[in-house]
Amino acid sequence: MKTLDIALPQMALLYGLCVLPWLLLWLIGLRLSRDIAVSILRMSIQLMLVGIYLKMLFHLNNPWFNGLWILMMLLVADWSILQRAGLKARYFFLATFTAIASSILFTTAYLVILVIQPAHFYDARYLVPLAGMILGNCLQGNVIALERFYSALRKSENEYVTFLLLGASRWEAVRPYFRLAVKAAINPTIAGMATMGLVSLPGMMTGQILGGSEPWLAVKYQIAIMICIFTGTTAACIINLKLSLAIAFNPFDVLKEEIIDKH
Amino acid sequence: MTPIIRFEHVSVNAHEKTILSDISFELFPGEKAVLCGKSGSGKSSILRTLLGLHALSRGMVYFRGKPLDYLSVQAIRSCTAYIGQEPVLGADSVREALLLPFQFKAHRGRQPAEAQLIEALQRLQLPADILKQASNHISVGEKQRIALARGLLLGKNLYLLDEVTSALDEASKQAVFEVFSDPGLTVLSVAHDPDWISRCNRVIKLEEGRLIQDVT
Repeated sequence: MKTLDIALPQMALLYGLCVLPWLLLWLIGLRLSRDIAVSILRMSIQLMLVGIYLKMLFHLNNPWFNGLWILMMLLVADWSILQRAGLKARYFFLATFTAIASSILFTTAYLVILVIQPAHFYDARYLVPLAGMILGNCLQGNVIALERFYSALRKSENEYVTFLLLGASRWEAVRPYFRLAVKAAINPTIAGMATMGLVSLPGMMTGQILGGSEPWLAVKYQIAIMICIFTGTTAACIINLKLSLAIAFNPFDVLKEEIIDKH
Repeated sequence: MTPIIRFEHVSVNAHEKTILSDISFELFPGEKAVLCGKSGSGKSSILRTLLGLHALSRGMVYFRGKPLDYLSVQAIRSCTAYIGQEPVLGADSVREALLLPFQFKAHRGRQPAEAQLIEALQRLQLPADILKQASNHISVGEKQRIALARGLLLGKNLYLLDEVTSALDEASKQAVFEVFSDPGLTVLSVAHDPDWISRCNRVIKLEEGRLIQDVT
């Protein structure tokens, strides 16, 4: 079964749909025209470029090109996580890269090599979209984990110091905030898994069904990707927060002010 | 005798402002000292500096003869009780607050018995049934005394007290004075309360981050 193409006039019709949310937002007094226009334009250009690149990537199917693409995704994700979490990249770039790279590479390799088992592990058709999906979700989780953790610590500075003065080690003193941050980061994934199929049909499954796959096969892929997203996000958040602890405090366990990006 | 605390020409900058300037003094075991001065004169900053919460821009702080570093700051924190104007109890109930430090590795296995909890509370004029109360439902004065009781349960011998009698009634204040009459306890306090100042054997006056008078 071949997926129906969307012709250019129909694509134009699709963009026309954006007028509805724009109008609703305008009516409630939210002037977001510029942000909406920039976001839609960026999404369209970025996806078109990815489309061109993926076409080339699938055609070449070269392990080095595929690896380079994943490396680029990791670097962009790293920068994006720190920017959105309000932390300075010059302090945390390496720690965040280590955390997301190790988690994403492990879960993607596990899924591709042990579960899906394509003829070549580096097959771009499997490796690139699966790594991208896991990384995309992992990015959200890491933003929440870092942002929640450091803002809670700053907000509860007196409590944190009290724990230290009552004999807690740095790890013991930050542990309550650490746990809450990890919980907040993985909660959306856990809630998503609990309601999946009931509340919504997940994107990847829908895509596969539209692409002509059997629903049962699409279901199996969706389960596989959700388990990998959950594993990758949990591992990346915990590793990232743990590594950041060695950077964010002075030798007297006081949170360094200079790590926070105030812009 | 080695001083328990020695500030040697200590200056501290915070938020691009000098908060302590060239402070030097020594505190010996058993002394009860009070830091006096107007708001913003640097009294609380001295306590925070001693606990390693402010970086030194000049000079050195010594604890039992050792310069303040990662290891000695752990030693200071392990034998010091710091009680601020509105202490954070760090737990939902008073009982949990009193037992909180015993969850940490440094004090694990030394959890006090129920009778010891009650005794510590009674020394500070607190009823035993306060143990069941929620931490956010008690007064500031009760919080201060619970924080003090926690220090007593931990066997601390150096007390850094920031306006610790500010929210206490006369009877509670007397109970606190009684606790600190113990010659084994060393106290460095911040106070405006004349009763408290008169009970201290040393008064250190500060003005705009400088030590201007040290009277024994």
